[in-house]
Amino acid sequence: MSGFSFFMVSASFGADFDSERKTRMLIFGKGNLRVPKLSRDVYIAAAGMTDFRKFYPEKQTVELCLEAIRMAVMDGLGMEPKKFREFVNFCVYSQFADHFGDQLLAASKVHDYIGFDPIGNIEIKTGGATGGSSVLAAIMSIASGFASCVPVIGWERMDEVDTRQGNAYIASAACKDFESELGWSYTTYYALMMRRYLHEYNPNRETLAKIAQKNHHYARFSPYSQLPGDYSLEEIMKAKVVSDPLTFPECCVMSTGAACLILADEETAFQLTDKPVKILGIGAGTHTLRTADRRDMPVLLLPNETLEMYKDRKNDWPGFTSFLAARFAARQAYHMAGIHNPIRELDLLETHDAFTVSDIQTYEDIGLRPYGRGAEFIESGEAYLESDLPPERKLPTNLSGGLLGSMHAVGATGIFQIAEIFWQIRNEWEKFHSDEKYWKKYGKTKPEDFKNLQVPNATRGMAISHAGTGSHVTAIIIHRGW
Amino acid sequence: MIPSDGATKLAKKWFKKEIPGELLVRFNPREIVHAHTYGGLSKFFKGLTEGVLYGTKCWDCGGPEGNIWLPPRVHCPDCWRKMTWMTVDPANAKIYSHSTTNLPGAGFKGTVPCPLISLEIPKVRTRFMSYLSKFAEDEPYIGMPVKPVFRKKISTYTILDVSWVPID
Repeated sequence: MSGFSFFMVSASFGADFDSERKTRMLIFGKGNLRVPKLSRDVYIAAAGMTDFRKFYPEKQTVELCLEAIRMAVMDGLGMEPKKFREFVNFCVYSQFADHFGDQLLAASKVHDYIGFDPIGNIEIKTGGATGGSSVLAAIMSIASGFASCVPVIGWERMDEVDTRQGNAYIASAACKDFESELGWSYTTYYALMMRRYLHEYNPNRETLAKIAQKNHHYARFSPYSQLPGDYSLEEIMKAKVVSDPLTFPECCVMSTGAACLILADEETAFQLTDKPVKILGIGAGTHTLRTADRRDMPVLLLPNETLEMYKDRKNDWPGFTSFLAARFAARQAYHMAGIHNPIRELDLLETHDAFTVSDIQTYEDIGLRPYGRGAEFIESGEAYLESDLPPERKLPTNLSGGLLGSMHAVGATGIFQIAEIFWQIRNEWEKFHSDEKYWKKYGKTKPEDFKNLQVPNATRGMAISHAGTGSHVTAIIIHRGW
Repeated sequence: MIPSDGATKLAKKWFKKEIPGELLVRFNPREIVHAHTYGGLSKFFKGLTEGVLYGTKCWDCGGPEGNIWLPPRVHCPDCWRKMTWMTVDPANAKIYSHSTTNLPGAGFKGTVPCPLISLEIPKVRTRFMSYLSKFAEDEPYIGMPVKPVFRKKISTYTILDVSWVPID
């Protein structure tokens, strides 16, 4: 693998870049491009979550977190909490912003409430990617041998403040010296990227609206979702504009709720369940918090790409239209998992669809299409479960309803994504979505036209967890482990 | 004795929903002041109040021409040495991308709609983010030539002390 890394380093300094541009770009060393490996296998044994709501006064944060892990342990493992607690030797907690819940060290309250004292824990914070980073931390704790059974619990309590204050809190995760004051709104920063994306690549505007249409539609079949609905493309494009050109249905929800995964080493995982799901690839990337500061550089290639593909490229990279962090994370995860063709070798995908434009950018960053051609992934039907394409040509995306339709309780989001893929791989999507008991539990009525979104024979999936305007991204690939 | 903090702080309605009678939802109001230092970047923010746009440049890593950091950084991210302050010439600045703040978050000091812009400025390596303080109906657009204006009187001592207007 080191030979490959050397090739990448050499390739990054191709002759296409003149000396002036070379002074501007990031330079990778061999160590920077090392492919991660785990010292021992790590598995997911169970998943759980609450429903997600704009306003959830009925339950405190600790109650929501307990309900998420109780679902994982009692509904998922079929085990009594007292018995399960005997396995646990470390915990990871995931919350984006202390501001929202107005409680520092909230993880300590959750940990105590669930009865895990005096077992050690850590709380992770990487903005919108907090969930993915928390799972990464749990994986590392088990792979290193430090722990053998680690619950990861994520939440966000976004309903203590009104939406205007909520947007300001979120925009506190932009640079407060140079960005936050310019709008206190992340939507405005993403609309800036969208305008540039439309300018550089000129996709059909409707294609972006189709992403919102798809994800709100899939959210209809989830008892956990916050904003399900069937919308026409016209309704989406003519909806109230949040920040031109992004309309309301093209922007993620602001949620309160919790999600949980139980991770374990091989021996423990098979004690807990007959069908654990294995961690196959992980990647983590970062880039400047300020979008403005992104230096022009050659495209970092994925295993399914060649220098030839971008030899005539004139636009900046990553510029405002791509996420280096997502590309870097996907590259690590693909190499670690041995994936050369993501559409063919993955069965389903959960992206961080905070905005329609960030979703289409991500399709390109993770190599579903070359840069500038992300719209094809939607227009071809590959992103849809219902498409007539053969299974190897499809990669159903955000069957959970995603951040646009289902939830964005930030600290829970990356965990929620993996939970949904975990159930799919275990062929349990129906068990956890169709059962009337979950719909009734959350006071909802199951749709009369309920649709089974189980991906036939799902074996492998990937989740992308994403922060800021691409400041942190994780890519986690999980695979049937039995 | 705990002193009264005024009228009742119990919420009856939130996010347009009635709060069920059995639940207590209390408003916790507060006003907080942070004393935030600009540290080594103080020169930049002072510069805005004097009508000057300062960036920084690393002569070791940035080559002989251009490659000015704006926003400035005190230290070069590549060699970690202190960079040199440079006066940015905004001539030929143009809009690289734009959007509009219609529904700003709390604390926004401007008026809406407020066009958010990023700028392409010769010799500057970054795409400085700012706002347009004057614009016509069909503005802004990508490639639009702009020039800076500075809030020298009644300065905010924030990034809002520089905005941009069309050249003509």
